[in-house]
Amino acid sequence: MGREKAGRKREAMPGTSTGPAQTWGRFSRYSSALLFFFTFCAVVVVGLFVIRDLRRADKDEQNMFTGSVLSLHRIAALEYQTQETRRSTLYALGTADSNLHVKYADQSREADHLVSEGIAAYLANARTRNELDIGSRLRRDWSTYLSVRDEVLASILEGSAKEAVDRDLTEGVASFDRVRQDLAEIELIYDQQAAQQLSNVDATSRRTILRVAGVLAITLVATIASVWTIQRMRMTGAIQLAKLQMEFVASVSHELRTPLAVISSAADNIADGLVREKDDLRKYGAAIQTQSRQMMELVDQILLFSATKDRAGHAAFRTLDVARIVDSVIHQTAGFVRASGFHIELEMEPALPSVRGDASGLARCLQNMIVNAVKYGGESRWIGVRAFLRHSHLRGRSEIQIAVRDRGIGIAKSELARVFEPFYRSPAVVGEQIHGTGLGLSLSKNIAEAMGGHLTVESELGSGSVFTLHLPIVGDPGSQAAEDPRVPSSS
Amino acid sequence: MLRRAHVLFLFCAALLAGALLACSFGLAELSASEQAAAERNLAIVVNQSNPVNELTMAELRRVFLGERGHWPNGRRITLVMLEPGWPERAAVLTSIYHMDEAEFNNHFLHGLFTGEVFVSPKTLSTPEGVRKFIFNVPGAIGYLRASDVDKTVKVIHIDERLPGDKGYKLHVPPREGK
Repeated sequence: MGREKAGRKREAMPGTSTGPAQTWGRFSRYSSALLFFFTFCAVVVVGLFVIRDLRRADKDEQNMFTGSVLSLHRIAALEYQTQETRRSTLYALGTADSNLHVKYADQSREADHLVSEGIAAYLANARTRNELDIGSRLRRDWSTYLSVRDEVLASILEGSAKEAVDRDLTEGVASFDRVRQDLAEIELIYDQQAAQQLSNVDATSRRTILRVAGVLAITLVATIASVWTIQRMRMTGAIQLAKLQMEFVASVSHELRTPLAVISSAADNIADGLVREKDDLRKYGAAIQTQSRQMMELVDQILLFSATKDRAGHAAFRTLDVARIVDSVIHQTAGFVRASGFHIELEMEPALPSVRGDASGLARCLQNMIVNAVKYGGESRWIGVRAFLRHSHLRGRSEIQIAVRDRGIGIAKSELARVFEPFYRSPAVVGEQIHGTGLGLSLSKNIAEAMGGHLTVESELGSGSVFTLHLPIVGDPGSQAAEDPRVPSSS
Repeated sequence: MLRRAHVLFLFCAALLAGALLACSFGLAELSASEQAAAERNLAIVVNQSNPVNELTMAELRRVFLGERGHWPNGRRITLVMLEPGWPERAAVLTSIYHMDEAEFNNHFLHGLFTGEVFVSPKTLSTPEGVRKFIFNVPGAIGYLRASDVDKTVKVIHIDERLPGDKGYKLHVPPREGK
């Protein structure tokens, strides 16, 4: 049987299984949840970023339209109206009809009115100092041009075409050019703003693409890593299980071969007539009987474990007197213990309360613990059995604890995590050729849990081990043994 | 006692309402008569920037005959006339020029040829055109029915009187259909 140490952490979670299959199942379950959570988070995060970027891009586009494109349209309209103002004035030069003069003057004034409104709107929307300066300069230059234009118009209407042309050439052209320059500067500012905002939109778009690609890449890598880890764990678990099974087969074969060899040898000697004396025959018969019983014991244990694992057993719970069962087990194992040169020191609190469970299962569990102590008890040849009542603060209930202590070889800390795995045997134990199947502790643990209890171990390498069976007392609300069918009947 | 007070209150209210009604009718009547007077009066209008606010009838006649070339501020005088056929033109020819159409044309043809006349009148087809012309030309002077005048032009006093004033001498027959 394998041995290991279950520390206090182990005691805190006695119901947890540690076999490769369970480990694999837990990991698979957790990793799936983790993967799902991670993917969900990634999708949420990237979604939030994308939404934020889209909103920003939309805002940038709106700003670009309202702030630049629309303004460019306005400036273009403004330029057109300034041209219209001048054009209408000059049209009037081409006719001598006073009615047409008035008509062109009207057109020119309508256009200049629109220009003035446009300039006012531009100044109202100007945000930067530069825009305000240019806007003010435009308004001043436009006003200057209009005063010239008025004089030119007056001259035309008066019929002094030459005077009108002279004035327009000397003052009108220059002032109108200044207006055009101002408008060109404003257009340049809007062009720059539009280009800047377009570049912002472009940058936002690139950033969004990079973010999406990055998160998708991370998700892909995480998925691949998870799948790889799952597959690796599955493979490792399968290999470990196969190895344990092979070790188990080898161990069982060895355990069976030894008594078979004794039986076979004894049978051969009797059959060949080498043993004829009555006393010798009795000795040979006793040897065959002992070895046969050992074989039966071994087969029983394997079948019991199989039954426990398959849950093929049925519940036969009843109220048990723990003190009587402990006494009975010590009595049953007394011969084996004495033959092994050990002695048992029993310490039992008086008037221990009852527990609910299967008597034969509990006896089997205690037997395994005592046999374990004998096998790994070392040179001290001492086993301490102690039964007492304690309150478990972790579980919030009272329980009977039966501790089996030895002062033997102990268990390395690195092996404690695997102590209750079925078929597991410590390499050190195998090296020392201590025989066993690796099923005893696993079987005892399953029995304890089926009765609502648990099995813990404390150990220090070279100092010995203490295996403690925890059983809830009858009537305690924490007891959960009543309906668990896993305790097999060994009877 | 209370009933008497009620009766008295109703009586006063009826009196007040009657008075208000009479006033409104009276005001409406007055407004209508003012509008009719505005239709009949001919206003002499100049550009808003023109410093001249009044002229005597004799000065006005000199200006309209083209015998005066500039305003006191140095601006050239531009005379604006409506096309023949307008009652306003007929009234001006009668009241200011004391001429008919033929004499008017001869006067300017002869005057321009001889250099006695400094201004060649601009002829426009509508009163609105006249008003806009005067608005655009600082030295322009023309005439409009008082009802066609707006704030874009300035009406000057003639012999210290404005259209509508008692003793104002420039009148025009009402428009047809009015």
